[in-house]
Amino acid sequence: MPDKANDPAALWRGFLGDLESGFNSFANKAMESEGFSRAMNQAGGASMAAQKALGEAMEKYLTSMNLPSRTQFIAMGERLQGIENQLAEIKAILHQMGRDGGTAEDRAAGARRPPRTRRPPSHGEPG
Amino acid sequence: MTSAAQSIPDRIQSEVQRAIQRSIKGVEYLGSPAPAVGSTPKDTVLARGTMKLHHYRPQADEVYRVPVLIVMATTNRGYVLDLAPGQSLVEFLLRRGFDVYMLDWTAPSPEEKSLRMEDYVLDFIPGCIRHIQRDCGESDISLIGYCFGGVLSTLYASIFPEGPLKNLVCFTTPVDFREMKLFQNFSDRRYFDVDRLVDSVGNVPPELIFASFEMLRPASRLVGQTQLWENIWNDEYVKSYRMFDRWATDTLPLAGEYFRQTTKDLMWDNRLFNDTMSVGGHPARLGAIKVPILHAVAEHDHIVPYGAARPLIPAVSSTDKEEVILKGGHISVAAGANASKRLWPKLDQWLSERST
Repeated sequence: MPDKANDPAALWRGFLGDLESGFNSFANKAMESEGFSRAMNQAGGASMAAQKALGEAMEKYLTSMNLPSRTQFIAMGERLQGIENQLAEIKAILHQMGRDGGTAEDRAAGARRPPRTRRPPSHGEPG
Repeated sequence: MTSAAQSIPDRIQSEVQRAIQRSIKGVEYLGSPAPAVGSTPKDTVLARGTMKLHHYRPQADEVYRVPVLIVMATTNRGYVLDLAPGQSLVEFLLRRGFDVYMLDWTAPSPEEKSLRMEDYVLDFIPGCIRHIQRDCGESDISLIGYCFGGVLSTLYASIFPEGPLKNLVCFTTPVDFREMKLFQNFSDRRYFDVDRLVDSVGNVPPELIFASFEMLRPASRLVGQTQLWENIWNDEYVKSYRMFDRWATDTLPLAGEYFRQTTKDLMWDNRLFNDTMSVGGHPARLGAIKVPILHAVAEHDHIVPYGAARPLIPAVSSTDKEEVILKGGHISVAAGANASKRLWPKLDQWLSERST
């Protein structure tokens, strides 16, 4: 009968676990160095600048092709978001009005809210 | 029969069956939609740009007097606390008789790049609290802040010590940012030009936030995928993996000015720990917090190490204060199977006694 020492699946899981923790701690040690921080931020800064330049060039190209740009799509998204927000506000107001004194059905819905009278179970009680 | 107790032929047979299952399920996996998350019935009762306030429909016949507002971390979506029926902190609290609201976030729009800490602490949280007070007719409220949601809740509690906050619960909340050593190194002020980043991109892209979390454990994603393949015959494992993976990769962008402020005030100057933090001109000193407070920290938290979270409880002036150190990591301490056995019952016991 195989035990953990000669079960290939258990050995594999153990190996994987050791590999993960070993590599993570090795990488974390390397990432704690000043050199890593400098290199990472230099690379990040360069890629960010390149991304910005590419975005600006693309924007000009789309304008020249008479196509909507990302900025325009975002602006449209913001307008939709604004409409959604206003709908949510109207919904909340209607909800509140219903609870304050709307139709009988609305009042019944409001009344379905449970009473706020719950007490914590005594020690040993299942609750 | 456990795997260790199987005979070698049985074991080989079982491995062959699993290999076949893996091939079948692997194909299914590629074509199947992601599992639904955040399905506990709720109403979005307030929405303003990046901010959403949800009210979960009560599931008990009688609820505690004091409502609970969960403040989610600004980097991630709140559905991690409501993954699936039976794996949901929200559902657990509802069934235990709490009236639960959640302050959740969506991606800030480019126009919202100018949002600052002031907007989150002095506007969003108080605005939600006012709404809840009107909605349920109670003036008192309990806050539960997860990770950076805990930082925002702590700042709020320190600026408004006169109430209406009744109880404060923090999960894995950093206070001493020097102890977040890798994040410190990633954002080393000598090399990390936060002004240049924010000025050029506006909102900080989610890819950058995700990459910085992933770099804390660079091998874990690959190992996780290997384990997924190994367990792909197991539907429950696959479902759970996909829910957590979906959440982890569903990172939110951060509002540019808020990120700039967080980097400078917290990562660089460690102001919360040094007692020099202020938000919109209001001093935010941990010593001003006097309400009952519970801080749950994770023993194996790779994002907020214990050293970063430990100073919270000693620094507050509350007489009723408690820290619990629980087995688990940054996410598993609050969500998932083990959380339901460790953190959730503790939270229920602590909060129920203070919610009448």
